[in-house]
Amino acid sequence: MKPARLIGSVIFACLAASAWAETALVLNSGDENVSLIDTVSYKETGRIPACKEPHHLMATPDDSSVIVACAISNELVFFDPRTGQEQKRVKNISDPYQLGFSPDKKWFVANSLRLDRVDLYRAADFSLVARVPAAKTPSHMAFDKASQYVFVTLQESDEILAIDLKTQQPVWKMNVGPTPAGIYMTPDDKYLLVAIMGADYVEVIDWRARKSIKKITTDKAAHNFLARGDGRHVFVSNRSMKGSISLVDTQTLSEVEQYDVPGGPDDMEIRADGKELWATARFARKVQVLDLEQKAVSRSIPVGRSPHGVFFLKHAARR
Amino acid sequence: MDWLVDLFVRTQGWLFDTLVQPLLFATGFASYAEMGFDGVEFVLLGAIELSAAFVLLRPLEALWPAEKWAERGAVRVDVLYSILNRLGIVPLAVFILLAPGFSELEGWLRFHDIIPHQLEDWLPTLDYHPLASFLIYLVILDFAEYWRHRLSHTWHWWWALHGIHHSQRQMSFWTDSRNHLLDDLIAGVWFACLSLLIGVPPGHFLGLLIALRLVENLSHTNTRLRFGPVGERLIVGPLYHRWHHALDLPADPRFRYGCNFAILLPVWDMLFGTLYLQDDIPPTGIHEKTPSEIAARNDFWQQQKLGLKQFANALFKRNNTQSSA
Repeated sequence: MKPARLIGSVIFACLAASAWAETALVLNSGDENVSLIDTVSYKETGRIPACKEPHHLMATPDDSSVIVACAISNELVFFDPRTGQEQKRVKNISDPYQLGFSPDKKWFVANSLRLDRVDLYRAADFSLVARVPAAKTPSHMAFDKASQYVFVTLQESDEILAIDLKTQQPVWKMNVGPTPAGIYMTPDDKYLLVAIMGADYVEVIDWRARKSIKKITTDKAAHNFLARGDGRHVFVSNRSMKGSISLVDTQTLSEVEQYDVPGGPDDMEIRADGKELWATARFARKVQVLDLEQKAVSRSIPVGRSPHGVFFLKHAARR
Repeated sequence: MDWLVDLFVRTQGWLFDTLVQPLLFATGFASYAEMGFDGVEFVLLGAIELSAAFVLLRPLEALWPAEKWAERGAVRVDVLYSILNRLGIVPLAVFILLAPGFSELEGWLRFHDIIPHQLEDWLPTLDYHPLASFLIYLVILDFAEYWRHRLSHTWHWWWALHGIHHSQRQMSFWTDSRNHLLDDLIAGVWFACLSLLIGVPPGHFLGLLIALRLVENLSHTNTRLRFGPVGERLIVGPLYHRWHHALDLPADPRFRYGCNFAILLPVWDMLFGTLYLQDDIPPTGIHEKTPSEIAARNDFWQQQKLGLKQFANALFKRNNTQSSA
C-alpha cells in the first residue's frame, strides 16, 4: 500500500472510531432491540436486534464491553461500546434484570426481579456461585466499598436486603418504605440512599446501624440514581408521566435542584463534561436530553418502546 | 406516521397518569407501574382493533350478508363479550389468576437450574431477524391454537364450556369473543404453558395477538365474502369458519367433533384431516336440548351459569352427551 493511501486509511479509521465513540446505546425493552444514537447530531442512526426484554446494561470494568441483561432470553449480550457491534452472548444466565460488578471486580451480581432471586456469579468467567432467594421482586443494587455486601431493594416487600458476598448468605433485611427501587451508596460509604417509588422521597439509611436517618423529599415516584461525577452529588429520576430529575447533595443529604423531565425518566447517563444528562423516558418512547446549564430539556430523541438502559462511553466518572 | 405514534403514546401516557398510576400508588401496587403502562397499551390497541373491525366488517355484513336477519337482538350479548375482552377486563382477570402460579413454577424451575429451552436456542438466527421471528412464532402459535380448539370440541368437559361460543345463531364479527370465562382462563393456561416451553417474545406478543384477532373477527363475519378455491386454503375466511359453526355437522364420521378448526391457516385442517369446504352457506348454532340451554342462548349470566353446570356434570357425573358441533 502506498504511504499516502496508508496514512489516509489510518486517518479515516481514527475518524470513524472517533465518530462511533460518540454513539449512545439505548435499550428498547419493549421492542427487543437497541437504538444507536449519534450523540453529536442527536439522531438515531439505527436499531440493532438484541434479545427478549433488554432492561439494564452496564460496562465491564475495563469499558471494553457493554453488557445487556436479557431478562426473558436468559442471557447476557455483549456490545462493543465504540461500534455498537455485538461481541458475544453468554447463555444460561437465568432471568437477569439488573446487573452489577462489586468494586473489587470479583463478583458479578444479577437480580431476577420476576423470579425473586439474586444470583451471584464469579466475575472472571460468569460461572454461577450461589442463588439467593430474595422475595419479593429484587430490583436495584449497590455495594459497599469493601465489597463485603451487596444491598438489594425488594420492591414488593418494601425492604432492602443485605447479602454477604463472602458467605453468599442473606444477612439482614429492613423495611424502608413503599416500593423501593434505586439504591445508591454515598461516596463516603456511610449511607445508602433508597429511592421510594411508591412515594416521593429518598430514604437515607445508615446501613451499619441498620436504621433510617432521614427522608429527602424529591418528587412523585422517586426511582433511580446516577452519580454526577464530582464525588458529591447524585441525580434521582422521579418516574411519573409529568416527571422530573432531582439533584441531591450526598453531604448535606438534601435536594439542591430539580428539573422538569416529562415522560417517566428512568435510567440516566451523563456527559464527561457534566453539561448534559440523558434520561430514558419509559412512558414516552423517547430519550430526554437535559441541558444542565440551561436546567431544561433541550432535546427529545424518539426511540423504541419502553426505553430503559442508556449508555455512552464518554461519560463522567461514576463517583 | 410519527405523529400517529406520538398521538398514541400521548393518549397512553395521559390514561396511565390520570387513571392507572394513581390507582396503583393508592393501593400499594406501585411496582406494577410498568405493567400497568403496558396494560393501557393493550386496552388502547384493543379499542382501535375493535373500531377497525366495526368500520371494515360491519359494512360487509350490511351489503353482502350470508344470512338476513329481521332483527339483531341476539348479537347484543356478543357485543358485551367483545367489549369485556378487547378492553382488557377478561385478559386482566386471567392474568391476575394465572400470573402468580406460573411465576412460582418458573421461579422453582430456575432455582433448580432448569432453564427451559427457547426457540432461539435451536434457531439463534431468529435473534437477528425480527420479521422472520414474528412469522415463525405466528405459525407456531396458530398450530397450538388449532389443537387447543380441536381439543375443546373433543373433550366433553371442555365442550361444555366451548359450546357457549357455538350457541350463537346470529353469528357476526362480534361472536369471536363470545367465550365462557372459564374457557378464556383455560386458553390463558394453554398460552402460558406454550410461552414457558418456547419463550414467546414479549415484544411480539401484541402483534401476534392482533394478527390472530383480526382474522378471527373476519372469519366470524356474517358475509357471503369468499376467497376462492386457492384463497380458502391459504387463510381462514368467513365461509370456511361458518362451516365450523354449522348447526348440523357433515355426516362423515371424521367430522363427528367438528371441522375446520384452524384459526389462521387452513393447512392444519388439511394436514390433520379436518378440512371441509363447501359452497353453500349453512345456518349456525347448536341444537339445544333443554329449556335452560335455550334460555342461555342470548343471556350472558345464563351462559356462564349453564357452562359451569355442564362443565361440572361432564367432569363428575360422566353421563354427558356427545358434542353436537
